[in-house]
Amino acid sequence: MSAATIIHVVVSGLATGAIYALMALSLVIIYNATRTLNFAQGEMLMMSTFVAWAAQRALGLPLAFTLVVAVFAGGVIAWVVERAIIRRAIAGTHWDVLIITVGLSLILRAIAGLVWTHDEFPFPSFFPSAPIIFGPVRVAPVSLGILGGSLALMMALWALFRFTRLGRAMRAVAQNQRAARLMGISVERVYSTSWVLAGVVGAVAGVLVAPVVFLSSKMGLIVINGFTAAVIGGFGSMPGAVIGGMFLGVLENLAPLYLPSGIRYSVPFVVLVAVLVVRPAGLVGRVEQRKM
Amino acid sequence: MRLTASLLIALLALVVIGPAAAQQGVSDAEIVVGCSNSFSGPLAYTGEQATRYGVDLYFKVVNDTGGINGRKVRTVYYDDGYKPQEAVANTRKLVEQDKVFAVIAPQGTAPVAATLEYLEENKVPLLFPFQGSPITRGKKYVFSGMTLYDRQSKMMIDYLVGERKLKTFGVLYQDDDYGKAFLTAYEKDLARHNLKIASAEPVKRGVTDVSAQIAKLRAASPQVTFLVLTPGPGAQALKERQKIGWTDTVMVSSGPLTDEKYLGLAGDAAEGVEGLSLWPDPLTSDLPGVKAYRAAMQKYFDKNEPNRYSLSGYFAAMLFAEGAKRAGRTLTRETLIGALENVRGFDSGILPPLTIGPDHETQKQGFWVRVEKGRFKALTDWLKSD
Amino acid sequence: MITRRVWPALALAVLAAWPWVAPRYFVFLASLVLVNVVVAIGLNLLSGYTNQLSFGHAGFLAIGAYVAALITIHAPAVPVIVTLLLAGAFTAAVGLAFGVPCLRLGGLYLSMATLAFGFVITEAILNLDMLTKGADGLRVPVARLGAWPLATDTARYYLTAVVAVLMVAAAVNLVRARPGRAFLALRESEIAAQASGVPVAAYKTAAFGLSAFYTGVAGGLFAFVVGFLSPDAFDVFLSVDFVVMIIVGGLGSVPGSIIGAAVVTVLYDWLAAFQNYRPLIFGAILIACMLFMPGGIVRALAPSARR
Repeated sequence: MSAATIIHVVVSGLATGAIYALMALSLVIIYNATRTLNFAQGEMLMMSTFVAWAAQRALGLPLAFTLVVAVFAGGVIAWVVERAIIRRAIAGTHWDVLIITVGLSLILRAIAGLVWTHDEFPFPSFFPSAPIIFGPVRVAPVSLGILGGSLALMMALWALFRFTRLGRAMRAVAQNQRAARLMGISVERVYSTSWVLAGVVGAVAGVLVAPVVFLSSKMGLIVINGFTAAVIGGFGSMPGAVIGGMFLGVLENLAPLYLPSGIRYSVPFVVLVAVLVVRPAGLVGRVEQRKM
Repeated sequence: MRLTASLLIALLALVVIGPAAAQQGVSDAEIVVGCSNSFSGPLAYTGEQATRYGVDLYFKVVNDTGGINGRKVRTVYYDDGYKPQEAVANTRKLVEQDKVFAVIAPQGTAPVAATLEYLEENKVPLLFPFQGSPITRGKKYVFSGMTLYDRQSKMMIDYLVGERKLKTFGVLYQDDDYGKAFLTAYEKDLARHNLKIASAEPVKRGVTDVSAQIAKLRAASPQVTFLVLTPGPGAQALKERQKIGWTDTVMVSSGPLTDEKYLGLAGDAAEGVEGLSLWPDPLTSDLPGVKAYRAAMQKYFDKNEPNRYSLSGYFAAMLFAEGAKRAGRTLTRETLIGALENVRGFDSGILPPLTIGPDHETQKQGFWVRVEKGRFKALTDWLKSD
Repeated sequence: MITRRVWPALALAVLAAWPWVAPRYFVFLASLVLVNVVVAIGLNLLSGYTNQLSFGHAGFLAIGAYVAALITIHAPAVPVIVTLLLAGAFTAAVGLAFGVPCLRLGGLYLSMATLAFGFVITEAILNLDMLTKGADGLRVPVARLGAWPLATDTARYYLTAVVAVLMVAAAVNLVRARPGRAFLALRESEIAAQASGVPVAAYKTAAFGLSAFYTGVAGGLFAFVVGFLSPDAFDVFLSVDFVVMIIVGGLGSVPGSIIGAAVVTVLYDWLAAFQNYRPLIFGAILIACMLFMPGGIVRALAPSARR
């Protein structure tokens, strides 16, 4: 394997990893605030991408608008879901909400199939397809674009959590819900916000990745890689989600170069199980003291 | 108590079998056929197109012109989501509850293989399944649909080695029955020419990132790289090839992959790519049968774009109608099979004149295409697979 | 007034008489229902009683199914009951091997591990294709009870029914006895259970192994009833279907497992023609169940009844 090939594969892997990282982040955002796992995260991402695509085709908007529409749709879908369905189960255990999100994923996928059929559609890319050439190394603009877009979003999130009042409120609720409430923070507001934020992050991930995996009702299954990435990095930790995502993306792409082809697809899951067994806190995460 | 009693009686009534028809699925006024197919899951789109927009499309035309020997055709479909156990349950329901005359155009090797024995045992014709694995050979009640994969492989290898004099081959294949069947067939056919596969890389069904596999294939420098995939990963393979600038190989798509969806998803990365085409171009061919197909689609399902999946379903229904017509008014499963076995030089206006023999294979054709300006251009006439 | 004694007797009578009154397809369907009942009980033993939700039980079903099929292919002299027991035992062994290290994880992590487990099993089946025929699929030969081949729907139905009844009875006894109470205690609060002397780790492990055993036996029955196996059959959506069964029926309840399995299987079959709407309806049922009927059908029908 030449160095040029390896570089190309690694860059490609980092791009995929960035998407996994975004998925993992949206899962972790919801988890931190509400202690529940959103099984329907992938389907929400898929719906917002479809809505953006349909709007762009119907209204003939320039490409940049698809991102805006997707983000808007992602936020709205998330908000509606949280207020209309999840909020009602607020008294239940986290299992209840998890199961509700399982049901939601089924529903959303069915709706997408009914409205747009289960066909696959090309999604217009913001980036040109001709590779950028650095000497012997060729890098796809799409990979760089995904990486750049994802990193920008991650920076924005970091700034949000670090410097804004909302971010601080979310961190407070993540640490200790009761104390946060006693401090006057509206926990319900934080719940809604975390869902909306996760929806927005998912929408961006969707628009970035759709040109590569194509738009279809089964696009949402990517979220499983997001889970894996989040656990590998350390579930609950946002830097962990990013590191886990990148690591997983590169691993998935490098492994087939060196391992026998058949075993390769088990790699993410074997790593997941290994991490859970050996170091459940993940690469970066903190060890959870409370019982779940 | 009274409610329970009446419920029990109602249940018993439901359970009592209705008057048995002389031939199951055939009454004075109608013929009932159907299948278990994918309407959800990985192959939902192809399943829906082949049945609702393919088989049903043709039967609509037939029914509107009086039916087959005075009988209209009705179809029943159930979703198996590509799960063999669902296919088994659905097929049994079709045979035992809906009392279909024949099963027509189910999809997928595993779902079809799961139901084969049951259908043979119960003497139910299995007509034109949308799959190419040779498991359907040698069964009395089964007529194959798609050109079987080993025939496709033979045509492809004989053309590439025989006519184009190419020698080194790589294969990017889907890691399931479809991909592996082709891989085995390629190995066998290359061995006939004293050649071997230089490199073979599997792709898990549904995965679109093939950068590692393409890199490995490139390292083996094959002159030809076979793509045995579904449209999504197939298009990705082409894009990846374009990304890394790997120009000194000919990408060749297998029969099922050679379709417009794959082209659409690949965009300009498909330029110059070749493949084995099983059907004439559904959108531009001016063969009389294909034009009739487009006209019918326009009339009944104008929002649905013509494509190869619905075309194959349409053809399946056409073949059924031809067999049933020839069997005459006394339509039984035996007379249908007899009629189909005696089809000689049937001109569908879509495929070359069809003769079905005791091997029960209804499609043996394919021709070579290359992509030029976003459409498939024929490079050869229909290739031989015998 | 129908007493609690009459229900089981009535159920047994219906079970025994079913193939004589029902059309062939419904005999087949009933076999599927019974297979799912056994899986649902197995899943409930784990998730309903010890609060460890599993999204990978299709993996256990797959192991049991393939083991039973392979034994029948390579050692046809083995009696079918032994085959089923072996399928269950092997599945339990795999379940324990996987479960023991993962059990010390919290509930959510364990669920994710079970999700991963399901995928690993499917990949393993694909990769071990020398043995399992991988993606081509494996035809399951007819099982033999002594000299008698179970070649008809009715024969297979009776095999399934007898095994299912035995396993239901075992589960009921388990639940009523000390282990059952220990499981329940675990579910309410692990800390409290530990404080009252329940060896938490041992019981969690036992629940895992037992759950795997049940599902493995069900897998063997599945193999004989359906007759054909392929990795496609055992995906994550099947695992989710099993979760739906115990949610709808009622977590932590044997009658709930039975009702849930029956309702979901029959509804699924009934909706086979409404292809595009089926997942929609199931998702809606799941959500409605969680919001309005959190104890499942069992709790809704008999709110104060003892499980």
